[in-house]
Amino acid sequence: MNEQILNISGIHKNYGKIKALNNVSFDIPRGSVFGILGPNGSGKTTLLGILLDVLKSDEGSFLWFGQPSTPSTRQRIGALLETPNFYHYLSAVDNLKITQAINQRGTEADIHEALEIVKLTARKHSKFSTYSLGMKQRLAIAAALLAKPEVIVFDEPTNGLDPVGILEIRELMLELAKRGTTIIMASHLLDEVEKVCTHVAILKFGVLVAAGTVDEVLSNEDIVEIGAQNLKQLAGLFAQYPKVKSMQEKGNYLQLNFNLGTANLEQINRYCFENQVVLHHLLLKKKSLETKFFELTND
Amino acid sequence: MIVSLLRIEWLKIKKYPAFWWMLGMVALTYPGVNLIFYNVYKNLTLKKDTGAIAQTLFGNPFAFPETWHSVAYFSSCFVTIPAILVIMIITNEYSFKTHRQNIIDGWSRSAFITSKIFDVAIISIVATIMYVLTAVVYGFWLNKTDTIGWTTELHYIPLFLLQTFAQLSLAFFLGFIIRKSFIALGIFMFYVLIVENILVGILKFKKIPLGRFLPLEISDKLIPSPKFIGNFNEEAYTLALAQVNQHIALTIVFTAFIWGACFYIYERKDL
Repeated sequence: MNEQILNISGIHKNYGKIKALNNVSFDIPRGSVFGILGPNGSGKTTLLGILLDVLKSDEGSFLWFGQPSTPSTRQRIGALLETPNFYHYLSAVDNLKITQAINQRGTEADIHEALEIVKLTARKHSKFSTYSLGMKQRLAIAAALLAKPEVIVFDEPTNGLDPVGILEIRELMLELAKRGTTIIMASHLLDEVEKVCTHVAILKFGVLVAAGTVDEVLSNEDIVEIGAQNLKQLAGLFAQYPKVKSMQEKGNYLQLNFNLGTANLEQINRYCFENQVVLHHLLLKKKSLETKFFELTND
Repeated sequence: MIVSLLRIEWLKIKKYPAFWWMLGMVALTYPGVNLIFYNVYKNLTLKKDTGAIAQTLFGNPFAFPETWHSVAYFSSCFVTIPAILVIMIITNEYSFKTHRQNIIDGWSRSAFITSKIFDVAIISIVATIMYVLTAVVYGFWLNKTDTIGWTTELHYIPLFLLQTFAQLSLAFFLGFIIRKSFIALGIFMFYVLIVENILVGILKFKKIPLGRFLPLEISDKLIPSPKFIGNFNEEAYTLALAQVNQHIALTIVFTAFIWGACFYIYERKDL
């Protein structure tokens, strides 16, 4: 996991006066499932576009497999960027033949295997124009999977898929990750990313606000949820408690935020007991990616 | 590399219905338009009172060796048909966004433009084959016994090929820049059928000798009017023939410039 498959260094991209990407730098380790998160317009797709050479960066550089991007490095990557892009008058098989002829990976058997994986075998000879949105997305995933590339880049891979399809793609990604394929995925679906990704980078208005393993990004603080009969009394009590960074009322509970590794449940319980407050709820919580995402991306 | 690009382009166009429709139209139009002009010629030469004079004046423009020139001239008026196909091939890439996907999948940007040069070249060659077949059929039809000298004007074959390639390259450039098929087709047709003719007319009227340097005129002048039309203005005809070599050079430079611009733009822009 230590080897870097992609090094991104100081990428800038402007559209007129709008800074789409502002000095974005991070590395992606080989074998990771790397989620790139951010609200609409945060620069996720622009970043992937630059990494896949369809957009030009204004400044900065990136290295795939330790070398500058070339057609031959891209041939080692399977990618779905934004929408499924295929020749409408051709069938799935014919479209994948073109993909394969360009990326020079695998044989015709790999085409049929990829179509089997995304469950398009029954419609493999139908024209792309006759496909539903979900089927088009599946074909794009098949194209990315073709002949098992070392890296797969997915931009919103579950777009247009039904819940079963989403589950299948999630399982597929986990399966690919087990085989050692590096997966880079941009998504809005935080739950999805949390379930699949080992690493994340979070972008906001083109600026990288966090990057690292999921645990590193999520766990820069401890969250303790406590409950007692009188929440106001409890809040007053913890206003003086050392090490509490902040607190919020969350329904019937009070949520206390501590620096990472500084919350001690036993001490908290004893403190309450000594101050004649009996806790009926005491829980050390892991912050969800969603919570962290909103913290980082909301103004 | 070349074989790979050709193979991929063949995969793209072999099942593209418009490709076969357009080829079918070229296959019908080239012989068809020449047949129309041949019938006009026949009607004029068969008239009892003036037929002999017309025969002397016109000769037989569809017999060997003049057929190479006449058929090239009349067929070249219908470059708009393959041009439609060329514009559709490039604008399809934009509307399907496959111009991006091809790069993502591992083509260089220059490979993409090179593949399009091959498309235009193949379509030009197919159009030239249609022209050659038409000319040969007319030639043998009207020279049933005497085909002596049938090779004397064969140079019109490469001239027709160069002219078609140059004009289709211009059509490609419009599609490449404009990206929308109907707008590009509209502008191309409007320019070919109206704008350039008006400009040529205006420049001629004002006696400014620059009309022949307009984008399509540069290559139009590769195939001057056939001899039987030239007979009406011997001086202009002789001059037009004398300028062919100059126009070969100009056409090559202009076409190279078009493709150079395509490479330059495509290498630098966001897709």
